[in-house]
Amino acid sequence: MRLPALSLSISRIAVLYILLVVMMLGLLWGYFWYEINTTGARLLRQHETNAKLEIRDAFLAVERDLRKAGDKLADWDETRQQLAIQDYYSIWRDVRIRGASLHHEAMDDVALYSREGRILARSLAPDPLPERIPVTQAVILLLHDQNHSHMVYYRPVHADPSGTVLLGYLAMKLDLTVAMKQLRSFRYAALDSLILAIPAGAQIDVRQAADIPRVRPLPDPDMNTKQRLFKQAMTRQALVMLAALLLAVLLLRFWLVRPLRGLSTEISNLTSSQEQDAPLLQASGPLRVLELESLRTSFNAYRQRLRELHGHLEQKSRDFYDQARRDALSGAFNRRAFEEDWLRIAEDRRTPAIALLLFDCDHFKAINDTYGHHVGDSVIQATAQCLQSALRTQDRLYRLGGDEFAMLLRDNDPAQAEMVAERCLEHITKHDFYQYGMREPISISVGIAFSQGDQHSLTALQKHADLAMYSAKRPGSRKIVFYGDDMEDMEVLVSSREVNAVFRAIRDPSCIEMSYQGVQRLPRAEKEYVEALVRVRYDEDLLGPAALFPIIQSRGLDVEFDQAVINAIRHDMQSGRLPADQGVSINLSAPSVVNSKAISAMLDLIRAENGRKIVVEITETALITQMDIATSHIKQLREAGALVALDDFGSGYSSLRYLSSMPVDLVKFDISMVHMLESDDERQRLITEEIAAMVMSAGYAVVAEGIETLSLLERVTHLGFSHAQGYYFGKPER
Amino acid sequence: MNKLPGAIALFLACIVSAQAEKIELVMPNKLMARAEFHQGSREKPAVLLLHGFLQTHEFPTIFQLMESLRGAGFTVLAPTLSLNVPARRQSLACEAIHTHSIEGNSREIDAWVKWLGRKQPGGIALVGHSIGSLQLLAYLGGNPDPAVRKLIAVSIIESQSPLTQKQRSRLVADLLTRVRQGDGSPLVQPVSFCKKLHAPPATLLSYLEWTPDRVLKRIEHLNLPVTFVMGSRDDRLGRGWIEKLGQTRARLRVVEGANHFMDGEHEFDLHDLVQQELQGL
Repeated sequence: MRLPALSLSISRIAVLYILLVVMMLGLLWGYFWYEINTTGARLLRQHETNAKLEIRDAFLAVERDLRKAGDKLADWDETRQQLAIQDYYSIWRDVRIRGASLHHEAMDDVALYSREGRILARSLAPDPLPERIPVTQAVILLLHDQNHSHMVYYRPVHADPSGTVLLGYLAMKLDLTVAMKQLRSFRYAALDSLILAIPAGAQIDVRQAADIPRVRPLPDPDMNTKQRLFKQAMTRQALVMLAALLLAVLLLRFWLVRPLRGLSTEISNLTSSQEQDAPLLQASGPLRVLELESLRTSFNAYRQRLRELHGHLEQKSRDFYDQARRDALSGAFNRRAFEEDWLRIAEDRRTPAIALLLFDCDHFKAINDTYGHHVGDSVIQATAQCLQSALRTQDRLYRLGGDEFAMLLRDNDPAQAEMVAERCLEHITKHDFYQYGMREPISISVGIAFSQGDQHSLTALQKHADLAMYSAKRPGSRKIVFYGDDMEDMEVLVSSREVNAVFRAIRDPSCIEMSYQGVQRLPRAEKEYVEALVRVRYDEDLLGPAALFPIIQSRGLDVEFDQAVINAIRHDMQSGRLPADQGVSINLSAPSVVNSKAISAMLDLIRAENGRKIVVEITETALITQMDIATSHIKQLREAGALVALDDFGSGYSSLRYLSSMPVDLVKFDISMVHMLESDDERQRLITEEIAAMVMSAGYAVVAEGIETLSLLERVTHLGFSHAQGYYFGKPER
Repeated sequence: MNKLPGAIALFLACIVSAQAEKIELVMPNKLMARAEFHQGSREKPAVLLLHGFLQTHEFPTIFQLMESLRGAGFTVLAPTLSLNVPARRQSLACEAIHTHSIEGNSREIDAWVKWLGRKQPGGIALVGHSIGSLQLLAYLGGNPDPAVRKLIAVSIIESQSPLTQKQRSRLVADLLTRVRQGDGSPLVQPVSFCKKLHAPPATLLSYLEWTPDRVLKRIEHLNLPVTFVMGSRDDRLGRGWIEKLGQTRARLRVVEGANHFMDGEHEFDLHDLVQQELQGL
């Protein structure tokens, strides 16, 4: 099992290390202490053995001495003299023996006995020899009496060396303890403790008594001293070791722990402070530990390099920050910078009066598609340059995306903001965009929203500017539009609900619920086919073209949305909602007409529904800039079997110019033109009638939209319109 | 050259030492006494060698002389007076209680003379050293064995005393009184070479009675040949003692340069002289 890694501070590690060392030393000390005691006990046992051997040797030596002294005394002439003539026995015993140096220093008593064993004279010794002895041969007896241990030598005394003539007996009695003391100095045995393990009064032949003397061992002063000295030495050693350890702790603390902790603290402070300009690791002097000094030096060097790197990175970061907030193409600030500035303004309680100007390049997508991205990029760069040149130094230009630019003008009133916008338009107008290969002039739409500084208006400022800008982009609108309360209904353009609905429909065509409005064949007014009108289901709501197309167009989602609509219609065809013989008219936006994918999808549908009448209505023809591609695609559609209708003819999006350029089969008069047929203005009515006659004379079938009344129906029928559609014939069917 | 015979004799004595015989003899006082006996030529007189004061027959002067005589073929008996010590084997210390006497010693000498006479019938020559010579003189003054034919007294000495004549006479009288009174308590008196001889009055008296005059008188009364062998450098003798001896009827032989013990190079002179004196017995 792997244990979790344990991180300890250096001081704790040092303490643990010291404790470990102390414990090791303690164990070692204890072991030595134990060894000393054990060795002491072993030496004590050896001492006791030595004491036994020593006392045994001494005992045997005393026996030898006694025997030798007794023999010498017995062989002395004067001893034999006393056995012959006892007149001067006491002089012999008390004076002569000592005078002749034949006595034993430990001798307690000496006596002569007759041949019969009777003592020659009673002894006056405090511990006298017996008056009678039963012995007949030499013997040394051991006895214990009067609290003294004695050794008594009884020996016959003969007149002749051969021992045939017995004169009597000699007895010599020694104090065993004294004799031993005089014999030698005892190193091991405590002679004063000598005892004989024999009953009081009993006498034992020394030949059987060698082990009888018992003695307590002398306390071994050397051993005790050595043991004490060893223990004292060990105690001193332990104290010295402890002092050394304490010193080691202090040195460790001084040389290692404190510098390390200091380094750690400084590093921690550096980490917590995050101050790049914090001073380098300081120390009063070079650290005592080479590695630590090296570490500090290296760390400082590393920090220095890090600081330099940080400075470099900071510069890079500033560059990145700037780059992150700059649009690479135009050089203007990007949406991120805009949002940050906006957030800063929103958080500023002293919100000033501020004007938000939104710029959008008209038909930029078409330009991009027509002339390519490099031209589009040049247009963006030139537009940004023109707008930037119209700004004050402190004002910022933001590119919010695509061809959309914004300005935030502080401390401006609406008039000043409008003046800036006009200056921008002027710069755009003056700029030579033809140098990029374009054949059309560039125009921009400007939406302006103004806030007086209150938080509520600031929050709505972006939305208002959007609405104003969309308003400006509407056909026939001024290019500079201030937001006004009348634009409330345009909120849909920026409503997140509608935007979400569009994107959902693109992702999932099942959200699209098609409605079909009949197109009547005149003059009988018989329904010949139906026009597919798009609706998008978003939760409980069903959003119509008025809510969807501004968003689709403003966000350039025309192609994707048209493809989703085609899929939805195909589904209705396959599901049988549209009967197989039911012709269908499908709207195709201008961007889709020049888009090969959209055309391909349409062609697939036409070919799949071979035999069904399919009319392709091209809307927003004014936005078609790549006329060659559009013409080619229309030709492909027609060759596939579809009819092509020019939608909204007479509105801002479709005009005679496009009719002459594109090979269409049908021309759908915009509802505004159809309604002019019943205008009170004679001129308008005549122009409309002449245009209709002209188109029809050119061979086009003409469809009148917006037929809501019988009179209008009769009017268009009279004028020769081939088809009509409108609420007069009924609302679109779902 | 004149020392050569003695050396040869000593060499021969060593060769025949295996014939030495230890003799133990119960004395008239019932105590056993020891002696060394060498059986020599029966053609030659037997010789009894007697040691000096408190000595044994193993005293060097006696021992060497015995060996010399034995080597020369003499039958030699060298007894050790018991001095009332059973089978005495050692010199008796001056501090010992001395219970012996000139008379008791004479009885022991008589016993040994008789024993020697039995071992080798014929003439016996007595050779004494120091007080041993006095002891033999005392023996001969009593009732000596008829076999004794000659006395050779080597370094004869009277029972010396540092007392004046008057003091000695007074002491002798005192001792005599004590003896008569049966007082046996030991006294300490200088006798011979003993500065402090521990002995009862009877013992002291028996020795102290032998004054120089008594010795000289006893010599005059002896009816056998007497030869004195004296060392010219004997420092233990009283003043004029050798001259006094020379004035007796005895024959005086002086070894020039010899001391009381006739040791050293004079040992052989002694041996030669003794053997010369033994010739013709």
